[in-house]
Order: sequence, then structure tokens, then C-alpha cells
Amino acid sequence: MSAPGIQRSVRRGAGIALAFCVTVCVTAPVYGQNADHGLTGSWERYPGQSAGLGSSANPPPPVNPAVGRIPDPPLKPEYLEPWRAEQAEIQRLTAEGLPPANNYSACIGDGMPAMMQGMFPMEILETPRQITIIQEAYNQVRRIYFDGELPAPEDAEPRFAGHSIGRWDGDTLVVETVGVKDYVLFRNVPHSSQMRIVERIHLLDEDTLENQVTITDPEFLTGPWTWTWAYRRWPDYRIQEYVCENNRYFRDPEQGYQRLRVE
Amino acid sequence: MRSLAALLLVVILPAFPLTGAAHHSFAPYEPDVQITFSGVVTDFQWTNPHIYIEMDVADADGEVKHWLIECANTTILNRVGWKWNMIKAGDEIDVVVAPLRNGEPAALLKRVRLPDGTEFGNGGPAGPATIGFDGQPLPRGSR
Repeated sequence: MSAPGIQRSVRRGAGIALAFCVTVCVTAPVYGQNADHGLTGSWERYPGQSAGLGSSANPPPPVNPAVGRIPDPPLKPEYLEPWRAEQAEIQRLTAEGLPPANNYSACIGDGMPAMMQGMFPMEILETPRQITIIQEAYNQVRRIYFDGELPAPEDAEPRFAGHSIGRWDGDTLVVETVGVKDYVLFRNVPHSSQMRIVERIHLLDEDTLENQVTITDPEFLTGPWTWTWAYRRWPDYRIQEYVCENNRYFRDPEQGYQRLRVE
Repeated sequence: MRSLAALLLVVILPAFPLTGAAHHSFAPYEPDVQITFSGVVTDFQWTNPHIYIEMDVADADGEVKHWLIECANTTILNRVGWKWNMIKAGDEIDVVVAPLRNGEPAALLKRVRLPDGTEFGNGGPAGPATIGFDGQPLPRGSR
């Protein structure tokens, strides 16, 4: 196409776009159920992460002793015993220097809910239609939408972060998540497609965030599995890139434990 | 170059709680043994999930062995002051490491000393050095 031909084509395209926008843009529904609630910024797990650097200079509130304490999952009896046996076996093998290979050995990130444990700092971005959470480890991203509805669990495309919808209940952000892949496990606890994660997230003060996590799964759990994580604002921290480009770990083909490629 | 064999030293560490659940496990490395040696860097890989230093290390008889030294990841080490270009091929460096339990020539870094004398630890999850570059145990408070 000649240069004048391209210009004509561009003009025609712009005209079509304008006509489209006049008829559609002004009539399209305007979402915007999220407002600025002071969550935007960088956060690190609190208390007790190893880095422990650079947190807000404001004095932290008293630590809720329950924060970070995760009870054993209320698995149904037929799943609880195998889970306990597996945990003991993992501990035994790890003590022998033969930790079983897991998703990390294959450079696969946590997914939900583990990505909210704050292995590394995370960034929260509040925008009118969604809240985006970026966990530095493995460049993990989750998007919590304020419009639309959760898919039915059996229809939800399985994902690492699942599908999340948020709403504000007073000053508490309530996030519901379904559709987590079946091999994305937290603490090796099995789950079904019926697993639902509810997070109640609220600021204790402007620099301290609490996240009460509740997991239900009628197929595997006898009742809700609940714990609380907390995070401290890290005002000047910029989330870094993390691409798993040089994975020297592999699963020993015979024994199944994590090994290091030395050569 | 100092001899690897002469500086091999066994130090008993207190039992640290397992903190690796959220990371790649460092369990394949000796929990209670640290050694120190010097060598020439052949490659510095500023990568994730972990950073690696490859180095040639001569023993007392002058025989050269190639070692792979595992470090923490780029984001942790940026946070504690490392820089992506602070080590180059050809640099002679000193390291304190915990070797693999299975005898392969790889080790987890505890502390490194660069040619200009500056020293760096390997971030929290990798644990502290318990010996100095002279092979002597460090008093607990100075780790």
C-alpha cells in the first residue's frame, strides 16, 4: 500500500472508531466499585520475615499472637492420617538431606493461598475496577475484580491464583477465590474444585495490614480452616523482577527427592 | 592459594528450625559442617531461582577442582547490598561454605570475601558463617 493509501486507511479507521465510541462508550456501564482505601504500596510479611529491612518507621501495633500460626487442616479422617504420615515423611527425608521435590523444585510459584504468605515483599495496587497483588517471588500476580461474578467452581478454569472477586464490607476487603489448580497445594493439603478461599483484609493502622484467611472444601475438610497473616508497609521498596531462568534443581528420577545439577 | 584440605573444619551448629518451607530446600547441604577455601571465579550467574558462582579451587598438590557455589536469589541479595556485577570471571575470592552431603563439588555459600576485601553474607535463609576465612570458629555473637 502506498503512503497516501495508508493515510486514507488510518483516517477511515479513526472515523470508524469514533463512530463506535459515540454509540458504545457513552452507553457502556461504568464500573468503579473500588476506591482508594490506602492499600497501594509495597508490603512485607509481618512479623518475622528474614529480611526485616526497611519497614515503615511508624511504630508497629502490638502483635496478635495468632498471626502466622497456621493450625493443622481439619481434614476428614480418611485424608488426615495420610496427610500426617506424608508430613512426617517429608520431615524425616528433609532431615536426612533428601527433601522431596515439589513445585518449587520445578520453578513453579505458590499460587493461592500460599502466594499471600509473603515469602518475599508484595505490591498491592488499587485501581477503580480491581486490586492487583504482585508477589515478588516468581513474579506472581493475582487480580481481584470488583465487577462480575465468580465462576461456578466446576466451571472455573483451573489457575494458580484462581479467580477472585472483591467487595468492601465497611473497612474490610472481602475476597473470594475459587478455581485453584488441584496440584497447587498449601502445606501439601489436598483440595477439590469446591475449595473456596475467603480473605478478610483490613488495615490495623495505615502501615499494618491483616489478612484473615478461611478455606472451605466440603469434599476434603470437615469445617473451615482459618488463620491470619499480617503485613507491614515498606514505603520505599520497589518490587524486583524474579524470572526462574536458571533452575538447577531436578527431581531424582528414582528417589523423587530434590537434587542439584552440579555440572 | 590456601589448601582446601588444611582448612577443612567441622563445626557443630545449634539446631536451627527449618525455615525453608517456602523456599527451595537447602537440606541437601551439610547442616553442621562448614569449610573455607579460595579460588578463581570462572562464572558468576546473577539469576533466579538462585545465584551461582562457579570457581576453580586448587588443593595442596596443585590439583584444580571445579566448584559450584550456590547463593540466595537476586532479590534477597539486592536487599542486603550485593550487586549484579560485583563478582567477575577471573576474580580470586575466599568463601565459607557448607558442602553438599552427597560429596558432589557444590556448596551453599555462607560468606564471601571479594578481591578488594569487602565481605558479604548470603541472606537470612542460607544461615550465617560459623567459621572465619582462617577456618577458625567464630564466636556466636559475631556471626
